[in-house]
Amino acid sequence: MNETEQKTTHFGYKTVAENDKASMVADVFHSVAAKYDVMNDLMSFGVHRLWKRQTIASSGVRKGHHVLDLAGGTGDLTAKFSQLVGETGQVVLGDINSSMLKVGREKLHNLGLVGNIDYVQMNAEMLPFPDNSFDVITIAFGLRNVTDKDKALRSMYRILKPGGRLLVLEFSKPEHEVLSKAYDFYSFNLLPTMGKLVANDSESYKYLAESIRMHPDQDTLKAMMEDAGFEQTTYQNLTGGIVALHRGFKY
Amino acid sequence: MALEKTAKSNNGAMTPEFFMLPNFVLSLIERVLNQALSLDPQLPQKLSAVKHQRLVVEVRDWQQSIQLVYSAEQLHLYSAQSNENADCMISADIGTLLALKNPAMLTQLIRQDKLDLQGDLNIAQTYSNAFSGIDIDWPEQFSKYIGDTPAQQLYLHLKKLKQNGSKTNTKISTMLTSLCQDELAITIHPLELEQFKKTNRELKGKVAAVEQRINALLNSFSSPKPL
Repeated sequence: MNETEQKTTHFGYKTVAENDKASMVADVFHSVAAKYDVMNDLMSFGVHRLWKRQTIASSGVRKGHHVLDLAGGTGDLTAKFSQLVGETGQVVLGDINSSMLKVGREKLHNLGLVGNIDYVQMNAEMLPFPDNSFDVITIAFGLRNVTDKDKALRSMYRILKPGGRLLVLEFSKPEHEVLSKAYDFYSFNLLPTMGKLVANDSESYKYLAESIRMHPDQDTLKAMMEDAGFEQTTYQNLTGGIVALHRGFKY
Repeated sequence: MALEKTAKSNNGAMTPEFFMLPNFVLSLIERVLNQALSLDPQLPQKLSAVKHQRLVVEVRDWQQSIQLVYSAEQLHLYSAQSNENADCMISADIGTLLALKNPAMLTQLIRQDKLDLQGDLNIAQTYSNAFSGIDIDWPEQFSKYIGDTPAQQLYLHLKKLKQNGSKTNTKISTMLTSLCQDELAITIHPLELEQFKKTNRELKGKVAAVEQRINALLNSFSSPKPL
């Protein structure tokens, strides 16, 4: 056995070779891209919009800022950032998946948002930007799909300007046992069924539920951010900890 | 930090934060304000002076801070995490904030210590001026759906209804005020009672005199006359 074959990671509850995870995640998102927004609204009962609003409120974005919306998917955050940074600012919508970028670009063009948005297909572990390039980096519901999260966080830290901030919006661990049980039932029974009915793809939504459980909890992710170099790292539980918003600064 | 503070407050049971209610309400208000922006063509022009500038409004009695930014022809409302990036910060209770509909009240309210203002006063005045002077051409808006004549009639009816409502409201308010403030004549005045008693006593005396006279007469008729 060579060394490459020995390195493994999680893909939901499965253990897969590290090199295979990116393409497996890509397959999931190629499959769901077209119905991504509809499914987000259905699965979260529209609450994902409020979680994203909270992210924007915490971002401190203002005119002239350079913002990277990593794993930006269909561009919900980019749409707002584009309006807030104005003509003198710039927003980069980055995603590893070309299908998601395509859907995002089309959606933002239809909203009339052009001029200060760039679309870049990129891997969060090796961000193709010079050091100290961005005032704000956000990654919403993307970090859990990244193969090497520590490497990705270090990469984000590198391209963030001193004084800049990283916001990680991600599913996390519910604070209460009762909520946790109800959430498990919903995730493993109802979600795949909804995925089957709406997007004709139950496997991708089964992966979604599993990948959430395998993602580090609030305190572990906070520690990972601190290890990557972020300071004043804090998190805010949203909807009882179903989602957590982590924030860290680079000084 | 605000982020930590909220994290701790979420540790309780199902609070409004659990359901993201403040964010939900703000998103609704944002939608209404943007609708108003699209209906009043003068409003974007009035707000252009404060484009990209942040106004943070702290509503004391709700313990909420809201940040307002006007950019890309849209208003953006978010819960404010801190006041550090605000170009202008207003702190007041909801009654005082509603009084700001009249922009002339701004300096008066500051003098009365009902309102704290930090930063650029012009930003607050511009927002106050813009929203107090919203002028939507309602007949024009209605006419898109029901045609010109019905739209005009509907508008006049609604206007009349509003005026009547306002009159009724004033009337009820005046009546309630007078009911609460004025002394009600539930019992007669003590002087009237005294007068009544006096008249009653006189009447009683006269009745007694008449009774005595009648008795005397009856007695004189009933006793046999001497032959």
